[in-house]
Amino acid sequence: MGKVRIVTDSTADIPASERERLGISMVPLKVLIGEETYSDAVTITSEQFYEKLIASPVLPRTSQPSPMEFVETYEQLLDEDPDSPIISIQLSAALSGTYQSAFIAESMIERDADITVIDSKSASYGIGARVIKAAEMAAAGESKEAIIAEVERIKQDMGIYFLVDTLEYLQKGGRIGKASAVVGSLLNIKPILSLDPDGVVQAVDKVRGSKKAMQRICELLKSSHGSDPVDVTIAWSHVDGQAKELSELVKSQFNVQSMRFVPIGSVIGTYTGPGTSAVFMYRV
Amino acid sequence: MAIVGAENLQNHAEHVNALNVFPVPDGDTGTNMNLTMTSGIRELKSKPSEHLGKAAEALSKGLLMGARGNSGVILSQLFRGFSKSLTNLEEASPAQIAAALQHGVDMAYKAVVKPVEGTILTVAKEAAKAAVQYAKRCNDVVDLMREVHVKAHEALQRTPDQLPVLKQVGVVDSGGQGLVFIYEGFVRCLTEGEGASVESYSMSEAAAPEDVAVPVARFAEYTSAQSKLSTEEIEFLYDMEFFINRTLSGGKALPFDETAFKNALAKDGDSILVIVDDEIIKVHVHSRRPGDVLNLALPYGELTDFHILNMREQHRDILDHEVVETNVASAELLAGQGAHVGSPGQVYERAPFGIIAIALGDGVKDVFLSNEVDTVLSGGQTMNPSTEDFLNAIEALSAEHIFLLPNNGNIILAAEQAAELSERPVTVIPTRTVPEGLAAVLAFKEEETAEQNKEWMTAAAKSVISGQVTHAVRDTTIDGVSIREGEYIGIKGKAIVVSDPSLREASQSLVSSMLEDGGDLLTIFTGEDANGADTASISEWINEQFPELEIEIIHGGQPLYPYLFAVE
Repeated sequence: MGKVRIVTDSTADIPASERERLGISMVPLKVLIGEETYSDAVTITSEQFYEKLIASPVLPRTSQPSPMEFVETYEQLLDEDPDSPIISIQLSAALSGTYQSAFIAESMIERDADITVIDSKSASYGIGARVIKAAEMAAAGESKEAIIAEVERIKQDMGIYFLVDTLEYLQKGGRIGKASAVVGSLLNIKPILSLDPDGVVQAVDKVRGSKKAMQRICELLKSSHGSDPVDVTIAWSHVDGQAKELSELVKSQFNVQSMRFVPIGSVIGTYTGPGTSAVFMYRV
Repeated sequence: MAIVGAENLQNHAEHVNALNVFPVPDGDTGTNMNLTMTSGIRELKSKPSEHLGKAAEALSKGLLMGARGNSGVILSQLFRGFSKSLTNLEEASPAQIAAALQHGVDMAYKAVVKPVEGTILTVAKEAAKAAVQYAKRCNDVVDLMREVHVKAHEALQRTPDQLPVLKQVGVVDSGGQGLVFIYEGFVRCLTEGEGASVESYSMSEAAAPEDVAVPVARFAEYTSAQSKLSTEEIEFLYDMEFFINRTLSGGKALPFDETAFKNALAKDGDSILVIVDDEIIKVHVHSRRPGDVLNLALPYGELTDFHILNMREQHRDILDHEVVETNVASAELLAGQGAHVGSPGQVYERAPFGIIAIALGDGVKDVFLSNEVDTVLSGGQTMNPSTEDFLNAIEALSAEHIFLLPNNGNIILAAEQAAELSERPVTVIPTRTVPEGLAAVLAFKEEETAEQNKEWMTAAAKSVISGQVTHAVRDTTIDGVSIREGEYIGIKGKAIVVSDPSLREASQSLVSSMLEDGGDLLTIFTGEDANGADTASISEWINEQFPELEIEIIHGGQPLYPYLFAVE
């Protein structure tokens, strides 16, 4: 039996260099700006995307990969190594049909193959951190079962909080979920956003001012993760100033074993807008 | 007797207002006590009884419902204890009256979270103490009340020694003065008979002054006169209350001439009360022609929050059910706001929580309404909603549990009293300023329990430092700051920290003082008297001095205070 192969999609926001280093296969979602269609993280970079987003009078739209794109990816991996089990971790089914496409693709594979498609029930590094850990374990020769168990453990343990500059994008993009109650305030309210167990956006608290919001995020994480050794990812969109502040704050308050600082890609960025900062934390 | 007391207070309301010491535009103690007393008298008149205990109870209930302002609430508590003590008595001896006064004082002290000596409380306490002593060697109620009045007056003169702020300004306590006027009215009534009644109440009692030496029976006498009143004798039968909102008229409103307006109302009405605020005018009148009254008011602005009651109807009800208590709150509600309230008894699902906030200014109100507040009642420094206003708002809200945010120190007691009287659970978060109220609202979470919300909202309110800039209304020295009339004073929390002829300077010093211990976010609510140039200049200056600080400027539209600040 060959080594476990890991597949994800572009919304895991894992940088290309990291994917190459760990041999992670990625199926891109698409983003449509005006008349142009781009392949997320393939034909458009994060930087290019936010420039276009700000300049564009209409909101971009996104679309899930077709099942065929997953089939091609799976087939390619099976061609390389027919015995390799495949673990495919996708964007939350509550947010996108990507998981659905992967699921259909799996049933379309006609040859004898071991493919496990997982609904991450999460987004961005809520997927990415798990995919990276899975790829590292796969590289170390660990079993499919061990990897799936670890991916599930991280999912349960992970604290996800994010701040958006404006709720407009989540609302217009139809991904506001349970955070809709915060819309319409005449105050510059910073809802502390998170994802519920199904991956639906929810507001866990509302705070005024971004400094207080960051402090509140740290308080929330402190109550769940205390001083245990943790893996942290800080993600940002378009501008990284606030995210840098957030990463300093987290570094100073937590037992951080490893920290990444990554830009949010175009599909997730379509819904969060520019000026988003996010933190993803799990016990190592 | 109670009526003469009320009238004596009414005639001196302006005097009491003038004694209000804090040099912010808050000269309304007399108005508040007067409105409270008026409500008590209205209730007393509507529930005539020969029975002293029942009459006192009616007075007490009316006071509770109409209580507004701190002094008004304390007054209502004094009479509440007083009446409870007399409940079962058809008439009372001097000793029993004295004990009742003492019971009222006990009740009032209990009602106030932090009783302050040198206020109406002390005056009432000293008077009651003297009454208890005096009653031991006296068997005449008139003598007793004279003693009460004399001792109350003496206690009033001592208030400046007990409360430094009074001494600084050189006045006696305003609420205490109001109480002395009420006692004085009692004495005058007892010695001169009901003829002491000065003016105005058209349902004027015709009781002949009897032998004043007869102890005890005065309450009963008054009410017996009342029960003879026939429904048709209520001349000005429509009891009207409404607001003239000056800002909603888009600048087309005529300049408001209070005297002319009052005179016009008086041509065909009585019980006239006009409370003028920069933005909103509250009007209360008994009239034969409600349409004419509204037409008189129309040129001055947009009219809101109508309550029109037919007093004959009310009176008929009372004659029909002398013992059955009418729920005044719901009666007024149906008359005034029936349009947007489901009929009582109608079954509908209530929201788990409702929030009622008190605020002035269109912007401030909108901010509250955009953040989960269901009802905003008009009120603030110079316009305190009554307990009844709160109860009406509570009644109109379809929610299981209601939170009240008074947003002003002078409104907290009335809110707490409403909470106590309401049949539904009501929690008062004792917010003293608009920023505190806003912080409390933001801490509210629909999915949490009432207890948890109370804890979080209270904690959130306390975490905010509030600042207010307004005009000084008199020369004085307070908190070590020398103040001249007309200057801008900056108030941090409860303390005045700066007084300056320049609005910009006063605002900047205030904000610097508020930021002494740090802070991440400054919110500026611009009042109706603020202008864009000042606002820009002040916020630029703050930005330069405190580059790390986040600043949010919000249109508040509040009267009297060009700026409200909040540091969090």
